Amino acid sequence: MPELVTLTIDDREVQVPKGTGLVETAMGAGIEIPVFCYEPRLGPAVGACRMCLVEIEGMPKLQAGCTMTAQDGLVVRTAATSDKAAQGQNATLEFLLLNHPLDCPVCDKGGECPLQDLTFRYGPGTTRMVFPKRTFDKPIPISPTIALDRERCILCYRCTRFSEGVAEDHQLVPRNRGAQTLITTFEEEPYRAPFSGNVIELCPVGALTSTQYRFEARPWEIQNVPTVCTMCPVGCNVTVTTREGKVKRILSRNHPEVDQGWLCDKGRFAFSHLRAEDRVTQPLRRVRRRGFATISWEEALDETERVLRGAGGRIVTALSGSETIEHAYGLAKLLRTGLGAHSAVLPEETDVAIDAFRLPLSAIRGAELIVVVGDDPVAERAPVVDLWLKLARRGGAEVVTIGAAGSVLTAPGSAAQTCRELAGSGSELGRRLRESERAILIWSSPGGHGGAEIAALAGELGFAGKPGSGAFHLPATPNGRGVADAWAAASDDEGPNPEPIAVLVVSGDEAASDPHVRALAERAETVIAIVMFERVALGWADLVLPGTSYLERDGTAMNLEGRLQRLRRAAIPPVADELSWLSQLAARFGVDVSPYPAPVFEELAGTVYGGLTLGELGERAALAERAQIPAPAPDPDTEPARPSDGHYLNLLPYRPLFAGAAVERVPELQFQRPAAEVELSWDDAQRRGISSGDEVLVRSNGTSATLRARLNRRLLPGVVRIADEHARDLHATVEVTKP
Amino acid sequence: MAASEIVLAGAADRDLTQIDAYREVGGYATLDRARGMGPQAVLDELLTADIKGRGGAGFPMGRKASFIPKPGQNPNPTYLTVNADESEPGTFKDREIMLRVPHRLIEGCLITAHAIGSRNVFIYIRGEYLREFEIIRAALEQAHGAGLMGDVTIVLHRGAGAYICGEETALLESLEGERGQPRTKPPFPAIAGLYASPTLINNVETIATVPAIVEHGGAWYADQGTEGSRGTRVFSLSGNVRRGGNYELELGTTLRDLIYHHGGGLPGSRRIKAIIPGGSSVPVLTADDIDTPLTFEAMADKGTFLGSGAVIVIDDRCCMVQLGLRVAQFYMHESCGKCTPCREGTRWMVQILRKIEDGRAEQAELDLLLDVCDRILGKCLCPLGDAAAMPIASYVDKFRAEFQAHIDAGGCPYKGESSLERVFAPVDQHTHHPTVEVPA
Ligand SMILES: Cc1cc2nc3c(=O)[nH]c(=O)nc-3n(C[C@H](O)[C@H](O)[C@H](O)COP(=O)(O)O)c2cc1C
Ligand code: SF4
Ligand code: SF4
Ligand code: SF4
Ligand code: FES
Repeated sequence: MPELVTLTIDDREVQVPKGTGLVETAMGAGIEIPVFCYEPRLGPAVGACRMCLVEIEGMPKLQAGCTMTAQDGLVVRTAATSDKAAQGQNATLEFLLLNHPLDCPVCDKGGECPLQDLTFRYGPGTTRMVFPKRTFDKPIPISPTIALDRERCILCYRCTRFSEGVAEDHQLVPRNRGAQTLITTFEEEPYRAPFSGNVIELCPVGALTSTQYRFEARPWEIQNVPTVCTMCPVGCNVTVTTREGKVKRILSRNHPEVDQGWLCDKGRFAFSHLRAEDRVTQPLRRVRRRGFATISWEEALDETERVLRGAGGRIVTALSGSETIEHAYGLAKLLRTGLGAHSAVLPEETDVAIDAFRLPLSAIRGAELIVVVGDDPVAERAPVVDLWLKLARRGGAEVVTIGAAGSVLTAPGSAAQTCRELAGSGSELGRRLRESERAILIWSSPGGHGGAEIAALAGELGFAGKPGSGAFHLPATPNGRGVADAWAAASDDEGPNPEPIAVLVVSGDEAASDPHVRALAERAETVIAIVMFERVALGWADLVLPGTSYLERDGTAMNLEGRLQRLRRAAIPPVADELSWLSQLAARFGVDVSPYPAPVFEELAGTVYGGLTLGELGERAALAERAQIPAPAPDPDTEPARPSDGHYLNLLPYRPLFAGAAVERVPELQFQRPAAEVELSWDDAQRRGISSGDEVLVRSNGTSATLRARLNRRLLPGVVRIADEHARDLHATVEVTKP
Repeated sequence: MAASEIVLAGAADRDLTQIDAYREVGGYATLDRARGMGPQAVLDELLTADIKGRGGAGFPMGRKASFIPKPGQNPNPTYLTVNADESEPGTFKDREIMLRVPHRLIEGCLITAHAIGSRNVFIYIRGEYLREFEIIRAALEQAHGAGLMGDVTIVLHRGAGAYICGEETALLESLEGERGQPRTKPPFPAIAGLYASPTLINNVETIATVPAIVEHGGAWYADQGTEGSRGTRVFSLSGNVRRGGNYELELGTTLRDLIYHHGGGLPGSRRIKAIIPGGSSVPVLTADDIDTPLTFEAMADKGTFLGSGAVIVIDDRCCMVQLGLRVAQFYMHESCGKCTPCREGTRWMVQILRKIEDGRAEQAELDLLLDVCDRILGKCLCPLGDAAAMPIASYVDKFRAEFQAHIDAGGCPYKGESSLERVFAPVDQHTHHPTVEVPA
């Protein structure tokens, strides 16, 4: 129990734990200390803007309230009861407005702008400034997604502190001095970083605005819908702003255990895929080899029914892992109970063993030792988790990454072997993990048996008995776990893998883009694809049923922590959503599927989620308790690592953060997509006389690609990394030469 | 050699930049003695001496050094940082100390480092001070050669042309390789300074006084000067005076003594109009204050400060509005831009002063100028904002009629005849960048 202190703010006595920030203390007592620069998520207070001036008894000068903490006996007066404080705050606002353009009527921030709001509450009503204002070129696109208006900037340094001290990308910087200070990007390069969009939300004025939102809406015309991002397994909580039914922007909706109010740029900016020009808004039937003809819903349902009936149960279903639990359940119920079609290509399943080591993501911040196992940078698999790691590291935690590009280098694909070694008695790091009370393990690689590997390690290290230690598995799909749960909940029966495949049902654009699914499709007589984008299905699907986006769905999803969260429909889809037509189709096979997500959830929650109700999930879902499950034994057969012989290099393909059918359809995100590059280790580049930026030929048996070289000093010699969209046909070992 | 000289003692007759000469006047003998004393015994002498910091703020040095955690109280190393950024307009004493008695500074560093248990000393030297840098560097080499350093490393770090980097926390940021902007206090540097470790920061002159204090004892030092202002100070005398320069004098000497006796008075038949007693940052005095003693307490009584010890004499040919404009321009140029009142207020002050000087101002704008100063005062993150507002407000206060005349006459009453020739440098002289080539 922390020591409580009693202080007085505006004659009100307040009791809080010692050390609580004065701003928070006042807020708790219903008293406002207005702030601009203060933002605890950015680190210690900097005291720059001077908006928070308060009078403290016994101190001759006004004090910056944001830099103070609650102390016993402190007597504080805010503008409400102190003329001096009121005058100080009025002065700050007068100074801030001297050179501010006051173009509120055409400013995107107008109506939801702290500068406007605080000026109304504390500022001068008129200006005494008669001189020409400071002017700058404006707006300046600091990236395709962010515009900067330097005239509106009040130099609170929130954005630069985020860039330097939270995302650690060091790209946004202040330049010059005094009244000439301006915000700019390092070397004036575009702000290209995974978390750049957060600065838009941090900016307390309209200086940093979203190019997507520019002139799109005014605050009184918009509606905000609380939902959850399911573009990756983190499941950040978001607020979706819509105007006239169209999504205009996505903002964070701080879930302190999940995302702390940060989003990655994919989650924030990718929503315009909803309006992609190849969005499927009508069922389609294949005509000729590479064409589609629009058909009516009636025809589509008839055709689907006919194809499914004719399959004699020889049906395979491929799921994306981005479906809602309800939508996956509806599909599963139709196919499994109605047609006995139990064969499915599921997204990587999650092993329940991981639940014995469950922790909220926020526990990472408090850990003292964190070991990340695997070849993929965390930011690529679960972006916001990377910010938690950085926060932990800044707080003094030791973060060890073990992989082909880690702080400890291992051969690609040897994550399981690493786990084995850490569990062994000879490992020093393993010993420290075992001794720590606050240690965290993270699996950041493909494979890993749905978390079973890392859970086995956590079990061996004795984490089950330590509430502060835990393990995370970073899966490849956003809701693979929920989808697998739903598939399993629909039926207990099993069936043989059909051969040949009569019908392949492909659910979602991700599955439809997966090369393995495409290979299956070649063996199927008929392919039914449920997709959002026509080009994804073109040339191989026979029947296309329109899909919807997570922003258009009501339902639930389970994130990588095992947290069940509620999605809400932010935008009305341009087509009937999956559940509504699944319900009709199911009826034709005598299967009862509700067209509404709530009854569907109720039905399956009874079997898999212990009767949980949607109401219980709430707007910020809680995390279930740790499960008491014995840890699994590690899988004995791990893939042996492939050593490089110096000439041939091991190709490590990766899925970049900015990739996928949705991202490909967002013009503003194109600059974030991976360049056609090959990452080489310093050694390998030296040996071949290659420098960063050189064009190189990457070859393997019969295929080749011309790519630009980039040196990655963290990469294990003998390994090259290429984004999978550029590595398409290359084999596991490649030669790299300068042409 | 004037009897009162302590810091510059001996430098008039010999070239004390050479270690042998410095040793001949007893140099480095005190270092040996100090190292033989316990650190606390050295600290006690500094406390007894009651020397106040010579950088501007005038905080007692011994007390500040006592705030440094004792060995075992803090896991981090302890640092000593010498502030040699000397950029306050009118101030040029530290450069003289570095040019003429570099070894006294080094000896002071080594004794102080011993007193606070530090093995790492940083001297942050103004970027434009290339000659001084070279002399200190040569002296350091000699001290190294003579095996005097013990386990102490002294790092010379050149600034890059920012007045604000003389402010102690901005200096630390700059030393760490960050943007030179002040930090909020607390924590104070003595607890969490350089690299979040306990750090003592003192001015060149303060540190260069330490050997004499330890050599003769704190009581001896405290005997000189006045009760509130012990010892001597090196005063930088400039402006409209015959013999400008640095004079090390006992504290308590009057302005009259400094200006007339040492400085030879004003040239020709000119009369004193105003005196700035402590560098550009402090409120101005008038001719009536000529008998004020140069002490912290006497200046406080007059509503001003002894500051950096720079005394600037302003004669009756000077236009106070032009002077205000020049000073305001300096602060606008040097504001770091971190906090609102200083960043925006200094620019506004310049705009208003320019308008008054040009004779375009309205009556209300004179009060506006005072109000702007008032709105900066006491509300900034670091003292630079106050340092801009205080002098300007004092010029208007004490020479209101002259400001009024600009408004009434619709222009400057001095026309082209006002002379600020020797009163600070115009701001465009601050815009050049320090030389970047570092001598081999
Ligand atoms: C804007 C500003 C500039 C300063 N410049 C200097 C300087 O150039 N040299 C200096 O010694 N102190 C300077 N100071 C004072 C330092 O912050 C600090 O008080 C001083 O170095 C402490 O040393 P002392 O106690 O020995 O005086 C400056 C302060 C401010 C606010
Ligand atoms: S751009 Fe916005 S966040 Fe950045 S310093 Fe300016 S006002 Fe602050
Ligand atoms: S980290 Fe994942 S859940 Fe969060 S915003 Fe990005 S894509 Fe969405
Ligand atoms: S008072 Fe001026 S110099 Fe000091 S922090 Fe504020 S802006 Fe920077
Ligand atoms: S909010 Fe306190 S100084 Fe900015």
